[in-house]
Amino acid sequence: MDPITFSIIRHRLFRVIDEAVITLKHVSGSAITNEGHDLMVSLYRADGSLLMGGVGFLHHLTSAAEACKAVIRRFEGDIGEGDVFLTNCPYTAALHTSDIYLVAPIHHEGRLVAWSACFVHVYDIGAMVPGGFSPESRDIFTEGFSSPGIRLVEGGTMRRDVMDTLLNMVRAPEMVALDLSSMIAANNVARERMVALIEKYGADPVDRACAALVDQSETLFRKRLRELPDGRWESRQYFDIEGETCKVLLAMTKEGDALTFDFTGSSPQSHHGINCTYWASWGGFFAPLFPLLCYDITWNDGVLRPIRMIAPEGSVVNCTRPAPVSLATVGAIQSVNNAACTCIAKMLSASESYAKEATAVWHGSHFAIFMFGLNQRRQEAIGILTETFGGAGGARTWADGIDVGGEIPNPIGRMANVETTEATFPVRYLFRRATPDTGGPGRWRGGNGIEFALVQHDSPEGGINYVVSGKGTEFSMSEGLGGGYAGAPCAYRWVHNNAAREAGRNVNPYPTSLDAMTGEAETISWGVFPLKGEDALYVRSDGGGGFGDPLEREPARVLADIEAGMVSEGVAASVYGVVTAAGAVDETATRERRKALREARLATPMAAE
Amino acid sequence: MSGTRISATLVIDENRAIACAACGYALGPAGGPWKDAARLDERPMQGAGGAPYSNAERVLLRRFLCPGCGALLDTECALAGDPFLTDIVKV
Amino acid sequence: MSAGGGGRYVVATDVGGTCTDAVLFAAGEPVRLGKALSTPPDFADGVLAAVAVAADSIGLGTDALLAETALFVHGSTVVDNTLLTRSGAKTGLIATEGFEDTLTMTRGAYGRWAGLTEDGIKHPVATDRAPPLVPGARTRGVPERVDYKGAVLRPLDEDAAREAIRALVDDAGVDALAVAFLWSFYNDGHERRVGELIREIAPSVYVTLSSEIAPVPGEYERTSTAVINAYAGRIARDYVTSLQGLLRGRGYGGPLLVMQGYGGLLPADEAAGRAVGMLECGPAAGVIGSRHLGRLMEDEDIIACDMGGTTFKVGVIQGGAIDYAREPMVDRYHYVAPKIEVVSIGAGGGSIVALDPASGVPGVGPASAGARPGPVCYGLGGEEPTLTDVMLLVGYMDPGTFLGGTITLDAEAARRVFAEKIAAPLGMSAEEAAIGIYRIAAAQITDLIHEITVERGLDPRDFVLHAFGGSCGLLCGVFGAELGVKRIVVPYTASVNAAFGLLSADIVHEYSVTKTLPAPSPADEINAIYAPMLERARDQLAAEGFAGDATALDWSVDLRYGRQVHEVTTQVAGGGPMTDDGVARLVADFEALYERKFGKGSAYRAASMEMTMFRLSARGLVERPRIERAALADADPAPAHIGRREIFVEAAQGLAPADIYDFERLAPGNVVAGPAVIHTPITTIVVQAGQSGRMDAYRNVIVELD
Ligand SMILES: [Zn+2]
Repeated sequence: MDPITFSIIRHRLFRVIDEAVITLKHVSGSAITNEGHDLMVSLYRADGSLLMGGVGFLHHLTSAAEACKAVIRRFEGDIGEGDVFLTNCPYTAALHTSDIYLVAPIHHEGRLVAWSACFVHVYDIGAMVPGGFSPESRDIFTEGFSSPGIRLVEGGTMRRDVMDTLLNMVRAPEMVALDLSSMIAANNVARERMVALIEKYGADPVDRACAALVDQSETLFRKRLRELPDGRWESRQYFDIEGETCKVLLAMTKEGDALTFDFTGSSPQSHHGINCTYWASWGGFFAPLFPLLCYDITWNDGVLRPIRMIAPEGSVVNCTRPAPVSLATVGAIQSVNNAACTCIAKMLSASESYAKEATAVWHGSHFAIFMFGLNQRRQEAIGILTETFGGAGGARTWADGIDVGGEIPNPIGRMANVETTEATFPVRYLFRRATPDTGGPGRWRGGNGIEFALVQHDSPEGGINYVVSGKGTEFSMSEGLGGGYAGAPCAYRWVHNNAAREAGRNVNPYPTSLDAMTGEAETISWGVFPLKGEDALYVRSDGGGGFGDPLEREPARVLADIEAGMVSEGVAASVYGVVTAAGAVDETATRERRKALREARLATPMAAE
Repeated sequence: MSGTRISATLVIDENRAIACAACGYALGPAGGPWKDAARLDERPMQGAGGAPYSNAERVLLRRFLCPGCGALLDTECALAGDPFLTDIVKV
Repeated sequence: MSAGGGGRYVVATDVGGTCTDAVLFAAGEPVRLGKALSTPPDFADGVLAAVAVAADSIGLGTDALLAETALFVHGSTVVDNTLLTRSGAKTGLIATEGFEDTLTMTRGAYGRWAGLTEDGIKHPVATDRAPPLVPGARTRGVPERVDYKGAVLRPLDEDAAREAIRALVDDAGVDALAVAFLWSFYNDGHERRVGELIREIAPSVYVTLSSEIAPVPGEYERTSTAVINAYAGRIARDYVTSLQGLLRGRGYGGPLLVMQGYGGLLPADEAAGRAVGMLECGPAAGVIGSRHLGRLMEDEDIIACDMGGTTFKVGVIQGGAIDYAREPMVDRYHYVAPKIEVVSIGAGGGSIVALDPASGVPGVGPASAGARPGPVCYGLGGEEPTLTDVMLLVGYMDPGTFLGGTITLDAEAARRVFAEKIAAPLGMSAEEAAIGIYRIAAAQITDLIHEITVERGLDPRDFVLHAFGGSCGLLCGVFGAELGVKRIVVPYTASVNAAFGLLSADIVHEYSVTKTLPAPSPADEINAIYAPMLERARDQLAAEGFAGDATALDWSVDLRYGRQVHEVTTQVAGGGPMTDDGVARLVADFEALYERKFGKGSAYRAASMEMTMFRLSARGLVERPRIERAALADADPAPAHIGRREIFVEAAQGLAPADIYDFERLAPGNVVAGPAVIHTPITTIVVQAGQSGRMDAYRNVIVELD
């Protein structure tokens, strides 16, 4: 293939996706799609294999390939030009029922030449809890409608009966209709642009360029793997749900130019919806793999070829139907992300030339809080608190993690302004800031997470409800790297100001920290809760993992962190061994403090004992 | 310390031993596990990095330390009794 | 002001990153152009130098010209430059207590990835935020709180505010302060009070209030805007005032008007206080210039392209209207101010051609060899092949006539370096590879224009393409044809695009009030919102010497569907005041516009509609001489024919012989048939096979596609 045409076609394929993403955002108009970038559009080859992945929630790149393949199997011989198929069955391809895939064949002169697929997290799916995240669900049947494959559009015409049936099963059907139309529009754009590309360059050259693009990715990725040392790296993620502790164990083996992800030893599936299915685990480790190992390689099927996965049937990472999975995206999938990030980072840091690409885990908990109720304009309001897209960066081997700096699996998320949330939900923020001492200490510190608190404000019903599906409150999920500490865990508190008021205490209406709040702060982590009267919800997200030995951090950096309010003096002294006074590092005291800490280390027992 | 890097803190030295990159202290033969030969400071994660470390009491921070120089070689978040994570690098 | 300084010339100067351009003209005389190198940080030197060049062409000295000048219009990159070189003031920030990190958190990852290319976004481990203009340590929270309705919940703690000001000024030593409180755009009382306290405690400190500079929702962007303005404020103010003084000193008695990023002019005194207004004003002026040219030529739908040494920029004019950018950034900092949408890629004449180290696939830019060392063929020490070298290899440039013969291009060096670094690794001849690179550059530009047209529901086939800048004429015949535009115009003023735009701009004051009302709402309610804006606008225009027919007031309203995020600014047809029928018309126009912008099926009628912002654009129409049309000669271009040589011809997929013409000798009315090359003193226009190039009465070259 001539390199010039190849370069042009490759660039144009990416533009096809970009254009479809813009269409998706435009038509959808919803906050989660537009602000959180909780979406994905990608192109697939005629056999359903990934041709070019877009930058969206990266778990979905491979899962949508499975969606294409499932549709190909199910509708073999009955796939027509202008058809669009819907699947959201987690046991077929989807991550959970709320993440709907629409996949559409692309035909040229009557021949099926490619597929486009996209996803958004729809407004509602008819699960037991508005918005879909259902802490009380005990099986897939209570998690809303779920289709292994259904034709939504036939030959370019919407199947009204199918659409009406779907919309009949959800809350706020008009919002879901808009979500679905946005995906149809995105697929239409992808198809039109792809056909235009084929018409300009010819079906054959485009097909050869696509094949070459996949082969090129494979070649480059295998070359990269060969440049990295062989070995076997382990990581372990715990997560706690209502007194239950689940474990995701991962052993990643690299031999030559092949990688195996082995989840043997992970916990049996839970009766809570934090499980994930086989294809979700598969997508779960690709989410960090694409940006960490293939940052300069086209994300497609070529990257998949050198990889194998072992995930025990009936486990939390490969649950058996009808196990519930509505919280998979913030549950087991997130743990798979984190475990894979750690193993990949360990492999990278074992290489002189690739160590700069290694990172401790970013925003391991991916906490999610969903709100639902009537807003101040008496409209039904359902939605996620976008602070989770704020995230927290893991430390790099050459730089600190970025405070409230996002996450790896969704490289371009962002959180909404306080003013946006206060305008759409009947709430008032008491404060929102980066939380000191949450980033894992290290030679390079993990990025701090975020903390904020809300009370209801002008709610026509005296308040609204929220869903907390928190894990990562008992355990730190953002693992450290190379001696760096894991980031601090999450915390959720229900502050009982109403009870304090009833007990005759004065409630502080403007506290700017958890400590300044009047009512008793009850720790919560799981379930549906009210935000009524003067009660407050306090949320503290986890920090990113640290890198390297905190005693090796330059004292000047620790001082700068103290001045910026990112690290407390207490932690500076006890963890970093840095003593400051009057805005300067006390060099002598620091030297002595670090010496003492080192001596204490040498007095610890041998690990074998 | 020269040698072939196998992690952010460890190298393989000229005797084919895993060694501390900071001081050269040998922790066992290349290609094998090394953590047993390190010092271990195992303490509650609670408070380990400051007040926000409000982890449950049973959650432990394991710090694997170089017996030669006290360098922090690796950390783990663990429950008591869970085995050490084993990383093997073949160079 | 319409009277101006009494002279007959209008002088426009535009300070860009590399060059400063001057354009001057008077009724009945041809437009004169001047170019000089920009002279940071004392940009005024370059301004006078460029004016001197233009003045010289009519045999005048600078002072003599200025004495005869009625109007001096100016655009400058000084604020952009302050940000890019981080040379602004030591700035502090006062925020609502509890929300001190709003600026540094940048809405999470947003500030980390915004402004990155695809390659950057895919590599998150390598990304970071730009260091904040105000670090956390120079931010102080003050107790106060206003809610989403603008109601004061918690009064301002003035003692705490005083303490914060003193701490920032005395202890942290700041020279500038930004004040940004939550919901201040609904209720600016607390910000204004803190502003008073600052002037009382530290009168020498430069102050920006977020509610003044950006009275819009979204505390992160509003805060960031206030901070940028405070950071660059004093430099912008001093710059404008000193330029004004300098011009006075050289005998100029008229007003100085300063270009804004939204494409309108402000009197110097007003512009001096709004540093953010000057951001990206050069590209904005270019689009305004295109619109003006379009009006002369009776084209309302225009794709305005500008390709210089480092970037290719494109803006779109539709039905004579210009789109504003949704999320503008300077360097990697967000700000919110009306700014004409101009998108760009790093593809210009100086863009370096390289093979991707991993895959060996060739690409163009975004790295640039700049003016120094510049392309290999300049012979100034450049060792990396650039797009300009490619242009030489495909036969588009004449080594002997470049820049009017002032530089002789070294074609052999260009061929040698290109062959060694690009062609040989690709296994191609230098010409083959050069043609390939040329096609890649054209394809990247096509894709960019696609992004700003097709992706916004516009069909390029309905548009005329304007090709500005030193390099655009070399490529427009190819990408224009692929886009299928109606025709291409390479303007006579192609090389001084922004300065030309300044000539055609009016004084424009932008006002807005943020308030949410259901749509439709009674007309009286809307008119009441406009009343104070109208009063301010009329006073301001009157003070500048504009009244009656010399003013225009445009009303527009931002509308959206309930629970949707996209707001669409919709013109109030026929202007104000509104009637109830007018409101109904506005709502209908919004719905039509929404579907056109966001695609069929996007309008969500089941939801209620809301009006969220009420805008007033108040224009003072600047009187200026008319450009004269030249008499047309016949079509035969033979007198301008200077030779034949082989060039890349797209239709032939290779080199083919073509006619070469000298622009200076072409007469209005002449038509050249492609394949052909027209050399102007500053740029080169390539007419592809099947196309024709006609010089019109304004000396623009109109390329008709087959
Ligand atoms: Zn050691």
